[in-house]
Amino acid sequence: MASSITREWVGLKTFAPATQTKLVELLGRLEEKNVDKLTILVMGKSGVGKSSTVNSIIGERAVTINPFQSEGLRPAMVSRTRTGFTINIIDTPGLIEGGYINDQALEIIKHFLLNKTIDILLYVDRLDTYRVDSLDKLVVRAITDSFGKEIWKRALIVLTHAQLSPPDGIPYDEFVSKRSEALLKVVRQGARLRKDDPVVSSIHFVLVENSGRCNKNESDEKVLPNGTAWIPNLVEKITEVTTRSNKSIYVDKKLIEGPNPNQRGKIFIPILFALQYFFVIKPIERAIKNDVANEAKPLWAIREAKRRF
Amino acid sequence: MNSSFTANHLITTPTLPPPCRTSSYLKCQLPSSSSSDHTKDHSNSTLIKTLSTTFALSSAASIVVFSTSPLRSLLPDASGHFSSGSGGNAGNGGNTGGGGGGGGGGWFGDDGSFWSRLFCLSPAIAADESPSPEWDSHGLPANIVVQLNKLSGFKKYKISDISFFDRSRRVRINAPDDSFFELVSLRPGGVYTKSQLQKEVKTLASCGMFEKVDMEGKTNPDGTISLTIAFTESTWQSAEKFRCINVGLMAQSKPIEMDPDVTDKERLEYYRSRERNYKRRMERARPCLLPMSVHREIADMLRSQGAVSARLLQRIRDHVQKWYHDEGYACAQVVNFGNLNTQEVVCEVVEGDITQLTIMFLDKLGNVVEGNTQIPVVQRELPRQLRPGYVFNIEAAKQALRNINSSLALFSKIEVNPKPDEKSEGGIIVEIKLKELDQKTAEVSTEWSIVPGRGGRPTLASLQPGGTVTFEHRNLQGLNRSVSGSVTTSNFFNPQDDLAFKLEYAHPYLDGVYDPRNRTLRVSCFNSRKQSPVFTGGPEVDEVPPIWVDRAGLKANITENFTRQSKFTYGLVMEEITTCDKSSHICASGQRVLPSGEIADGPPTTLSGTGIDRMAFLQANITRDNTKFVNGAIVGERNVFQVDQGLGIGSNVPFFNRHQLTITRFIQLMQVEKAAGKPPPPVVVLHGHYAGCVGDLPSYDAFPLGGPYSVRGYNMGELGAARNILELAAELRVPVKGTHAYAFVEHGNDLGSSKDVKGNPTEVYRRMGHGSSYGVGLKLGLVRTEYAVDHNSGTGAVFFRFGERF
Repeated sequence: MASSITREWVGLKTFAPATQTKLVELLGRLEEKNVDKLTILVMGKSGVGKSSTVNSIIGERAVTINPFQSEGLRPAMVSRTRTGFTINIIDTPGLIEGGYINDQALEIIKHFLLNKTIDILLYVDRLDTYRVDSLDKLVVRAITDSFGKEIWKRALIVLTHAQLSPPDGIPYDEFVSKRSEALLKVVRQGARLRKDDPVVSSIHFVLVENSGRCNKNESDEKVLPNGTAWIPNLVEKITEVTTRSNKSIYVDKKLIEGPNPNQRGKIFIPILFALQYFFVIKPIERAIKNDVANEAKPLWAIREAKRRF
Repeated sequence: MNSSFTANHLITTPTLPPPCRTSSYLKCQLPSSSSSDHTKDHSNSTLIKTLSTTFALSSAASIVVFSTSPLRSLLPDASGHFSSGSGGNAGNGGNTGGGGGGGGGGWFGDDGSFWSRLFCLSPAIAADESPSPEWDSHGLPANIVVQLNKLSGFKKYKISDISFFDRSRRVRINAPDDSFFELVSLRPGGVYTKSQLQKEVKTLASCGMFEKVDMEGKTNPDGTISLTIAFTESTWQSAEKFRCINVGLMAQSKPIEMDPDVTDKERLEYYRSRERNYKRRMERARPCLLPMSVHREIADMLRSQGAVSARLLQRIRDHVQKWYHDEGYACAQVVNFGNLNTQEVVCEVVEGDITQLTIMFLDKLGNVVEGNTQIPVVQRELPRQLRPGYVFNIEAAKQALRNINSSLALFSKIEVNPKPDEKSEGGIIVEIKLKELDQKTAEVSTEWSIVPGRGGRPTLASLQPGGTVTFEHRNLQGLNRSVSGSVTTSNFFNPQDDLAFKLEYAHPYLDGVYDPRNRTLRVSCFNSRKQSPVFTGGPEVDEVPPIWVDRAGLKANITENFTRQSKFTYGLVMEEITTCDKSSHICASGQRVLPSGEIADGPPTTLSGTGIDRMAFLQANITRDNTKFVNGAIVGERNVFQVDQGLGIGSNVPFFNRHQLTITRFIQLMQVEKAAGKPPPPVVVLHGHYAGCVGDLPSYDAFPLGGPYSVRGYNMGELGAARNILELAAELRVPVKGTHAYAFVEHGNDLGSSKDVKGNPTEVYRRMGHGSSYGVGLKLGLVRTEYAVDHNSGTGAVFFRFGERF
């Protein structure tokens, strides 16, 4: 894989001890299930904190963060190993550019992912956005169109900037659930899922606060306003989804290019041509001959069929 | 009791020009025609007006009709004369004006056996010696009646007026429209000598209409004379039945003059033999075309009249001839009435049987030359009804003109000219005279075009000089084979934009010139350059870098024409398609401008991905078109099916089946009288077009949606380019003062198949993939002016378009 050199996961050591213990335990749980490699795809709009989330999980500044400008168009993969277990996190550029889906960026992402397996999709958005709009739907749709509906069985919705005080004194949890509901609706519509689709209910929300000013608890873990330590929580959710029986998404050429419409139905062409000949051309020809036979001829032309002297 | 009467001379009236006389030269000159030497008779003939309207549509050639129709409308000012030959047949009247007619002279028998030569009176006097304007006064006291023989032989008398006096009924006939006046060549106001008047009386007496004719004058105070023709009309026994026989091409039985000094027995014998001969003649005669309905009408006329009078016979003749002439049998002529004084009146007609058909070629000076064109090539265009054995019909002749003119673009002048056959009495020779066009032509035509800018509005900056250089070598081997070539560009300033050439060889009569099957082989080599409507932006996209699709290749196809409009074409196409950007560099994909302003690759332009595709495919197109014009409005239906079947030969093994079905119905909403100058009926046009492709579909073969021939109100390709499309349209056309106004609704849909075109150009260039429009318009000549509302944006615009949408 061109973009990354697999290194030892040193960032793990930077976490608070409590977090480390929890993570090691979770990794152990994965190893029990014979999972020795985890590939996480991080996608979302621009400026929602995708790269920061990646860095938070890895525990080091693995990808550069450009807070005030759109990142480059290239996705980046960060790979870390720890005792035979490899974690790959793929950070992608924002999909929205000037109010439209950046098709080119999407194209690049797809090609970057070619021949890789995606175990987890982290769909990143901000918690502190109060509204959802059609752009969200477009992003969800673009992801669905690229990797298929199946990807949502392996998806987690990550809400960044989770350390906030909700407006108008709404309780924090209520705010979170309202925001989640709104986003879930967008995902459902964008992914063209039915309301009662089990996938919808299986999508989990994870709150994240990447900022350095994130509150910490007594064991020096970064915690959210509701008291949850979010890194272990995130990794736990990831583990949970991974250990579900659902298959990972393998990105092959067919998946990213979609079915080749030029190949579709090709074998039926000879039959189609024969049908056209016998059921379109021939009937029209018969109709023409009929027209000729029934042509309204002037009287002079009918009067004497043959009058030789 | 069954006395027979044979009038073996024509009855005709002087003002009714006999058929097949001098060929009157009638012409319809079309605006673009080059020859201008026969324009004077181009006039008040309704026939020619219809002709010209018909031909104006089909050709730019000048057409000259040698019309021989005796219809008055054709020859309005003809002071034609007719010479009745002794045979009394139609047709050999020739060009002689007047001529008192050999074999004139009535022969009146006594009691039952009655001979009269109903003789066509020739207005010899009027024709031969035109009345001199100077005249002499009668020199007699006013208001006295003078017998004709009392007049002076040295004076020229001026006739102030003419009237008839029927002695038997004792009525005076003054009405100038009375059929008697047609018999007289004298005209009120004319100046005549005594001998002329005497000759006139003699002619009248011998014409068979009258038993006795006298002429007397009444002196007027001003020196002129009022003429009264007193007569006793010839009458025969009343008859019940009517029969019409065709005596064309039969030898006329010449009456054997009877010696006046014969015994009664001999005389009786003579009449008997005559009667027998006539019976035999009637049996030999062929049936005529006159339908039973006309027979019945005439029988009714006979029954209601009682005694058969000369005037009645004249009316019958007019009636019979009118039917023939109305049906187009322009050379038909009543020549005789026989079997008079029996229950059944026999009308002898010469219908104008064609005895010969000759095709001749004329050079520029009008001399008969040996043409290059082979005769069968012309013959196969002629309706059967012009062949020997048929009765000459002017409609068939017109049909021949039209066929030769539209099917064979080989002649600058076409004449169809019936003339009397001198060898066969009553026969007609149809003469077709053709003036061939030069075999080799080359021409350069230039034109300035105003290209519609955005929204269909012409802009001054878009004025472009364009033109075509063409050459043609036609009628190779006289078999209408041709080699032609053309180079066209719409902009000489920038010929690389759309320079197109075509070199074609056409080989008609593939199955032989005598085979009625009409198949033409065409082999062509072509190059065309067009801007691809696939790489066009939607309404919000400012500009999409254009892609030019350059096709060069070979095509060989066979076209079978079933009718003038319906045909089946099938053949092989081999072409190389090159896609270029606006600076003529080959490009493998379209470009698109990213929101950031960067330019990135768009959808691929070719199948191979290199910008150059080569492919071979079969192409078949069947068109069923039975539309016709009802007072200028198209009515009928048209179905077109086209299929391009890839053969898997070419870049990336292109295997595909592209098919298109177009169905258009023109439904007449109201029955109208069909005639020239009548308003056309309102028409509803329903149109459906489905196009689809299975297999490899390069973007240049994707079906664009939007445009003046797809969904009006949008630019070409503005709605998208898809694998399968459906277009539906409805238009209501209402005639308005010689043209028509229309309202339309149209819809185009990609059926969700835009994504099945590689690179999805519809989405990349932000197009809707579907759209509707509605609007109203007015047709002004060739230009359609319309206001169309684009339903996607809800805005309307005025468009000017050439030609028809459907």
